[in-house]
Amino acid sequence: MKYSLFLAMFLSLSACATANEIPPVSATCQTAECIKPQRIAHDVHKAKTLEKKSDMRISVTGQGVAPLNTTSPAQAYALAKRAAVGDAYRLIAEKVKGVRVDGQDLIKNMMVQKSSVRTSVNAMVRNANIVETTFKDGLCEVEMEIILSHAQFSY
Amino acid sequence: MRSRDGNYTFTRTVLLLAFFSSLALNASEFLISYRYVLKDAILYNETLDISQAMKKCSGVPQKTLSLEHHDKKNIKDILSANSEEFIEFIHKLGLDVAHRGETINMQNSSTTILTLKTTCFKVDINENFAIIAPLK
Repeated sequence: MKYSLFLAMFLSLSACATANEIPPVSATCQTAECIKPQRIAHDVHKAKTLEKKSDMRISVTGQGVAPLNTTSPAQAYALAKRAAVGDAYRLIAEKVKGVRVDGQDLIKNMMVQKSSVRTSVNAMVRNANIVETTFKDGLCEVEMEIILSHAQFSY
Repeated sequence: MRSRDGNYTFTRTVLLLAFFSSLALNASEFLISYRYVLKDAILYNETLDISQAMKKCSGVPQKTLSLEHHDKKNIKDILSANSEEFIEFIHKLGLDVAHRGETINMQNSSTTILTLKTTCFKVDINENFAIIAPLK
């Protein structure tokens, strides 16, 4: 009898403690899966946004490789740098405008036959600046940045 | 009635007109487009097309680029001698980015195309420099 009273008190105390930790959820949501979207929405609100009369600096690092059939290290460097700049432009476009993603899985007899993911980006990038360029072991890395201001997007 | 120092004002006006008209005749307009293709982070193809405009372009000159011409009169020669500077300038003007990525059965491939759409440039060649400005 004594032990059962202690057990009941312990259980009620632990229930109170957990009730304080979990954020309030709607009446229909009782599982952990229901809580996840709320947490994601909370993080989205924390994401940096472009405020009025303020600038936002976006920095990316593009990578490029020289083709195998180059005639000199200088040519390899020039071609790798061009590729790295193109990659950096693509990364800026992805960050500013976003990526369209299409996925397709073919499942036959409960087995995946083919899985494909297609991504695409279309944007116009201007006034991006090269901050730093490094070339090591045939890989060229270009750090680029672009400064966005609210006025550019307001009509 | 003629002034004592001859018709100085008239001569000056004629000379000024001749000077400005020679500048205007030297300035010409070119249509330039630029495109390069990256496949799997490797430069695959790069093209720079230059053509003299067959009719007058509309628009006002935007920010300019000065290139040393080293006594070359042909715009293609000037641009090929200063290609790095000119391509950097083109990048600043803005490029269209079109990227396609594909992952099929866990194997990645990607193609990125950067394009400067055909733009009219005003080119003014003086003693030492070629001054290039896009019209917009």
